[in-house]
Amino acid sequence: MAYDKLLTRNLGKPNSATLDAYQASGGYQGLRRVFKEFTPEKFVEEVKASGLRGRGGAGFPAGVKWGFLPKGLEVPRYLCVNADESEPGTFKDRLLIEQDPHLVLEGIIASAWAIGCHTAFFYIRGEFHKGARIFQKAIEEAYAKGLLGRNILGSGFDLDLIVYRGAGAYICGEETALLESLEGKRGLPRIKPPFPAVVGLYGCPTIINNVETLANVTLIAERGAAWFAAIGRPKNTGPKLFCVSGHVARPGVYEAPLGIPMKELIEMAGGMMRPDRPLKAVVPGGSSMKILPAAKCDVLMDFDSLAAAGTSLGSAGMFVMDSGTCMVDALWNVCRFYAHESCGQCTPCREGTGWFVKILKRLERGDGVPDDVELLDNVASRVEGNTICPFGEAVAWPVQSYVKEFRDEFQEHVTRRGCPLAAAAAR
Amino acid sequence: MPDPTPPLPPAGPDEVALLIDDRPVVVRKGTTVLRAAEAAGLLIPHYCYHPGLSIAGNCRMCLIEIDKVPKLQIGCATAATQGMVVRTATPRVKTAREGIMEFLLINHPLDCPICDQAGECRLQQYEAAYGAGTSRFTDEKVHWPKRYDIGRSVVFDAERCIKCTRCIRFCDEISKSRELALFQRGDHAIIGTFPGKPLDNPYSGNTVDVCPVGALTWKPFRFKARVWFLRDVPSACAGCARGCNVNLGTYRNRVHRMTPRANLEVNRYWMCDAGRQSYAALTEQPRFERPLARPATDASEPIPWDEAVERAAALLREAVAAGADGVAAIVSARLSLEDLHVTQRALQAIGIGRVAVAPHEEGQDDHLLLRRDKTPNARGAALVGLGAPNAGRVKEILEDVSSGRVRGLLVVGEDPIGDGLIPASDLRRLPALVAIDWWKSPTVEAAGVALPACGYGEWEGTLVNFEGRAQRCRAALKPQGETEPVWRILAALARPFGFGAEYASASAVFDEAAAGIPALAGMSYRSLGTGGAKLKGA
Repeated sequence: MAYDKLLTRNLGKPNSATLDAYQASGGYQGLRRVFKEFTPEKFVEEVKASGLRGRGGAGFPAGVKWGFLPKGLEVPRYLCVNADESEPGTFKDRLLIEQDPHLVLEGIIASAWAIGCHTAFFYIRGEFHKGARIFQKAIEEAYAKGLLGRNILGSGFDLDLIVYRGAGAYICGEETALLESLEGKRGLPRIKPPFPAVVGLYGCPTIINNVETLANVTLIAERGAAWFAAIGRPKNTGPKLFCVSGHVARPGVYEAPLGIPMKELIEMAGGMMRPDRPLKAVVPGGSSMKILPAAKCDVLMDFDSLAAAGTSLGSAGMFVMDSGTCMVDALWNVCRFYAHESCGQCTPCREGTGWFVKILKRLERGDGVPDDVELLDNVASRVEGNTICPFGEAVAWPVQSYVKEFRDEFQEHVTRRGCPLAAAAAR
Repeated sequence: MPDPTPPLPPAGPDEVALLIDDRPVVVRKGTTVLRAAEAAGLLIPHYCYHPGLSIAGNCRMCLIEIDKVPKLQIGCATAATQGMVVRTATPRVKTAREGIMEFLLINHPLDCPICDQAGECRLQQYEAAYGAGTSRFTDEKVHWPKRYDIGRSVVFDAERCIKCTRCIRFCDEISKSRELALFQRGDHAIIGTFPGKPLDNPYSGNTVDVCPVGALTWKPFRFKARVWFLRDVPSACAGCARGCNVNLGTYRNRVHRMTPRANLEVNRYWMCDAGRQSYAALTEQPRFERPLARPATDASEPIPWDEAVERAAALLREAVAAGADGVAAIVSARLSLEDLHVTQRALQAIGIGRVAVAPHEEGQDDHLLLRRDKTPNARGAALVGLGAPNAGRVKEILEDVSSGRVRGLLVVGEDPIGDGLIPASDLRRLPALVAIDWWKSPTVEAAGVALPACGYGEWEGTLVNFEGRAQRCRAALKPQGETEPVWRILAALARPFGFGAEYASASAVFDEAAAGIPALAGMSYRSLGTGGAKLKGA
């Protein structure tokens, strides 16, 4: 199927990050159209009609989220752009920020207008030095051309956009931790409810949207909801950036409509890295999502199909593992990350993540005992659902799914007193 | 199947009715499930929740099940709603709690045998009630410093800490001194102070009280007594005019610690560090246990009570006989209402008309509890007719002592020499100096006759705080040596002058005082209870 790239259409063009290049390829026409043809309320409806689901991980319909803002309150409303992309295996937002910042910026302006926000924040991951610099420059260009600031494009709409750099904590990608961090505090998730749409930044109604979500808003602004909804599959509409990494020949970001078969994506990424090592498993949505063994990999890459397969599209950070991968080692790696990044606020996650690492280290090193496999699964079940934020699930789901799908391999680590794959490699 | 659900009781417009473990409860709108359960007589176990602090929701111990809500919810942060059906003891809840207990203990040192908190530790209590009793954790625990001086009087054991953040929230929200924060992440998260800012606020001891485990301990109490031996005697602090409600933790006739007792009208859940350590004066300052009399030139020596009272009365009689203008009394507003009432009556009987109540002021009133007025019973002194503390009047009397115009002086609970108000030599020259106090002060040593009184913790009586609340102090200790309550000493001293009243107890004194003082009308010693009562018109 021929597919014209939309989100990545400007990538690779010379000076793609500049306002001139962006406008030369038709940039900011969508915003002009929106200002002319819509009221803010109607544009919210338009985004609802497009079926756009949040690209940050949860897949919540963006327009519906906007609709949660309380009406008639005499307090500011804020839009916070979540550019704290830090889910392992995910690197799509970074690409947009660095190579086509105006595609994102246009979506931010349109969205802020739609929800009645006059101060928006761009919360960018601390390690994204380059991205922060490029985005700051894009903002300055936009101010200079009247695309930000007072009376944008003569619409009467005012918007200030502020870049705020995080300090590099994974947890600050969780929306309420992001708000805490943005307020200058330690990035600890808040108890919900109240939800940010009601009590968010500085206690005011706040919408937090992912970078890619806002880039999609630009597309909707340009071409309308009906056009957008025709891309992909029902209830899973629009284009999507997939980050393919692991044992593929050409890891990278690939754009395709939602619902593309997983196997096709692997082919787009050049197929398996080593022909002698077949596919063993795929994590489709970033390290926090459940793993699919090769036998379950004939799935479509969209929210609902993957949910039906028992996992989730998450951030579409897909890592591909071949037969040379030790699942205990892989899970140990994942858990080390979560143990390092757990904010330490609530008990199950703070204590559980570290415990997983200790058990997995023993298993991999050959010091496991038969009860360890069951223990992993059981401890995960006591973390899942019992934490302040979804971080609990983010670590429990991989633990539960790796153990469930590869229980024999875990048991083998106990009976053979170590990693069979490492032993084989050493021979 | 479970029994049919009981019907919901009717709820008013500002109320909601709900079922918690099939018990119908009606609470005000906005009440949390945890508080609603409390109202229904059910405990939802919790660590991080504290009624005086904001909600943190981090310990996850109060997870409960709510019908039609898929995930377990925390009782401390979930508002009760009309018709809500809450279950606090389902298998799911029990498993979750068991999990939380296991998590909290995997990196806990389990050093209960050497931990001061043992016996009043939430980890111990809840492990017994809700834990599995065993742990599946076999790996190396996370190690952190133990015995770390986090402040002047507080020691931190980071390994025992469960990161409930009560101490942090206390310093942020109550003392507003903001010394503490959570540092690091994950299972390496640790409570700490900001650089150069140790935990030295005037209320630091409250962090020890709110700590549900043995992570924060009060230095003066460390290794002093196992808490199960302590008897908590409800009392009021006499350190300033606030009168914080306290418990005196006593063991073997000794106070080992003073902790705040909740009284929302007075001190809420808190007390200051100075008050907390005020009991220590009883053992740290020199006591005198038997009446003392000073022969013409020698140092004072102990004599029997009867003889001492006779001698004191004789001294005062001579001074009064030489002219009523030449006799005065300085009385302390640190005495109980009962002491002050009898003092007032006794002075009349003896014929001492010139009386001054000594003020003690230090610092300023602060935002929380501390008062500039360090006398706990200034209002009581005014109430019984001795007058409010008055520095000018004290000064006049002492000037007249120095000039020789005053020849007889009765000092009750005050130490003008120690306070630097008069040179010791001037007082020693006095023909008649009678001092009553609980410790061997410089004034006591200068007195012709000194009568030993009970100290704080030994006497029983009432204090009236600056807001006009009468509160009872209970005796926690047996009086040391031959010491007696001030009211009994004064009654004995005035008896030779025709003072006829006899009292069996402080309670009897209070009842007499209450009968004569309109602001106390209708109050009885018993009616004050443990929370005290406001004066009429206060």
